[in-house]
Amino acid sequence: MIPFSTLSERHLVYAYCAVWILQFGYGTWLAIQWRRTRKKTTEQSG
Amino acid sequence: MNNRSQTQRFPLWASLYLALTFAVLAIGFYEAMTAPKEATMGNLYRVFFYHFPHTILSFVFPYMNCVAAFLFLFWRRSNPARALKADAFALASGEITVLYASVGLATGMLWGRAAWGIWWTWDPRLTTYLLLWLLYVSYLLLRKLTTGDQKAVLSAVLAIFAAIDIPICFMSIRWWRTQHPAPVFGGGADSGIDPHMLPAVFWNLAAWAMWGAFVLGLRYTIERRRQGIVAVEAGPVVAPASPVLEVR
Repeated sequence: MIPFSTLSERHLVYAYCAVWILQFGYGTWLAIQWRRTRKKTTEQSG
Repeated sequence: MNNRSQTQRFPLWASLYLALTFAVLAIGFYEAMTAPKEATMGNLYRVFFYHFPHTILSFVFPYMNCVAAFLFLFWRRSNPARALKADAFALASGEITVLYASVGLATGMLWGRAAWGIWWTWDPRLTTYLLLWLLYVSYLLLRKLTTGDQKAVLSAVLAIFAAIDIPICFMSIRWWRTQHPAPVFGGGADSGIDPHMLPAVFWNLAAWAMWGAFVLGLRYTIERRRQGIVAVEAGPVVAPASPVLEVR
């Protein structure tokens, strides 16, 4: 059970979630860009 | 299958590296959650295990960006192919700087609100750190919103000037009295943390450095591909036809 009753506990959870959302959100965006550019380069190479 | 399509696949070594990175991230998280409680802040201090690596690394990536920008300017006439590589690396490191500095700001503000009772104060560390974030956001905006031959040159010049803020920000907690705590490592006789907390610090530093290196490499590769796509779409450079003059 994640402690969430006090302000300190909530902010600790928010801080860890903020890190994961920002980092893995960026990672996901990069994965999408990887697929898009791969598709385009494959099309161009014929 | 030709060589080109093979190089477009996600390499096996990169998949293994990513798996190792996730394993180190998991160890870092476990160490952060199981480290002993801090005497005054209790569990809240565990924000430090994510805040510290991101802040330190947000001082490293801008230097990579600065070196790449400098190399771009150095090679842009003598070796355009290398200059393009340097420009792609500068863009990648600029983006990762904004990412890590955004995390540093977000975790710092969440920690500050719970520990100090305020989200923000205009002390030298926080102000110079916000300036660092703004400089690299403006670097990315400049790259995004401008077009033409001068885009890469202007952004490279901005990158070199932006790097001046890094040592000022890094040293601010040594040079001035700040609301931000004094340096935990290398800050003199009163600095340091309990040795039982050190594994959590170093595992998380290693984990986020590995993740940073991975996204940096991936972003660089994507930008190199995009440069290739743009070059193909632009087509071969054709010299303008000479006007036909009829001489009688």
